[in-house]
Amino acid sequence: MARITSLGIAGRLAVIIVATVIVQGILALKLRVFGYFDLPLICSVYYGFTLGNPIASIVIGSFLGLMQDSLSGAPLGTNGFSKTLIGFVAASAGAKFNVDQAITRVFALFLFSIGDGLLVSILGLMADRGSSATNSSDVGNWLLSATFNTLLGLALFGYHDRWSDATT
Amino acid sequence: MSRIVATSKRSGYIALAVALVIQTGLISIQVSRRIDTTFVRSWILDSLAPMEKLVDQALQGVSYVWDNYFFLIGVNKENEHLKALVDDLRIKLDKQQEDVAEVQRLRALLSVRDSIAGRTVVARVVGRDPTRSNETITIDKGRAHGVKPDSAVITADGIVGRVIHSSNFFSIVQLIVDSQSAVGVLERSTRKQAILRGNGGRDLDLEYTDDDTDMKEGDVFITSGLDRIYPKGLPVGSIVSVRPRKGAALFKTIVVRPSSDIGRLEEVMCVVDPPETVDVFDPTERSAAP
Repeated sequence: MARITSLGIAGRLAVIIVATVIVQGILALKLRVFGYFDLPLICSVYYGFTLGNPIASIVIGSFLGLMQDSLSGAPLGTNGFSKTLIGFVAASAGAKFNVDQAITRVFALFLFSIGDGLLVSILGLMADRGSSATNSSDVGNWLLSATFNTLLGLALFGYHDRWSDATT
Repeated sequence: MSRIVATSKRSGYIALAVALVIQTGLISIQVSRRIDTTFVRSWILDSLAPMEKLVDQALQGVSYVWDNYFFLIGVNKENEHLKALVDDLRIKLDKQQEDVAEVQRLRALLSVRDSIAGRTVVARVVGRDPTRSNETITIDKGRAHGVKPDSAVITADGIVGRVIHSSNFFSIVQLIVDSQSAVGVLERSTRKQAILRGNGGRDLDLEYTDDDTDMKEGDVFITSGLDRIYPKGLPVGSIVSVRPRKGAALFKTIVVRPSSDIGRLEEVMCVVDPPETVDVFDPTERSAAP
């Protein structure tokens, strides 16, 4: 019985991971502004916080990043590396801090977004696939992206919390 | 208890190290090209892109029904029957207009097909880069249709980009505005050669030209064919801004806007079988130019 429950949770997570990457791709196609959002990042942070299990968070982050890389022109592993690390750090932070507070979430989402942008750019440059130089417009994009991710993340976390409370 | 926590912590670090080593290894073998990793990307692309296409089509259907039916219900109850009839006719008319627009786009694509040598395949855009680090799109044609890496992708208005990854049924196209993209071009009237590089936004920057003295806004660039990706003579874009370069007044910063509307791509054409020979230098064309 416990095995069936574990399988059910794993299956649900797999569906959520695939749906996250697909929704990101579709919305980025339909609305150019959605390119500033990073749903896989928000998903990695959320499950890092809520599962509190570093290994599960690492697996979720790895798969999200790898699929994100596959649907983009980025070298395989750049987003995978970044999301893996973010999943782990989020899980560790979730065990140490009260991540149910909005202010903690704002800080975490903003910092993780900036960190993700920085890490993906560095790995892209190392793999000879980044922009030719990191300039002020890149930094501006990271800040904009971090702001959007923070706002969307806060809304989604709040919605998901309410939904989880209602179903438990 | 503390021992259990310590063990769990240690296994977390071990899992992190293993995952990071795997991701780093993936990056490193792609850079060194020691092992072919395209099968990993192909497998994931072939698994995810059909779902992406399905969701896209479903959204189009929902949007179509919403825009053309539900949105109009309840405006005037007295004329409900008449309105339903009008809605029905409007749906049919909109559908037909959409079909006409699609036929016109496809016809324009086919006219380009006639003007360039080589075999071409029409593809539909089904996704866009889920990250902001690359300017890429996903199209619903792959190796099974003859599309392979370095196939040129064009529209009736001009070039769009080149295929950088292809799975059996889907491909990823690097747009010309991507910061890693470069296109060999000719200025249409003076035949001056140059290279246009994407700036990661919506435009291209002019690079590596021997003489930019008389270049001005509105000048049109076409492909030179020298990069052996894009057939010669296809429109690329036109100059939208010429200004002195910061700190080097002798040089200019020239910005070119692509002739294709990169932000609104729906159907594109892939040149799957480009001409065997590329016209590297044609002196008669140069002398014919004004």
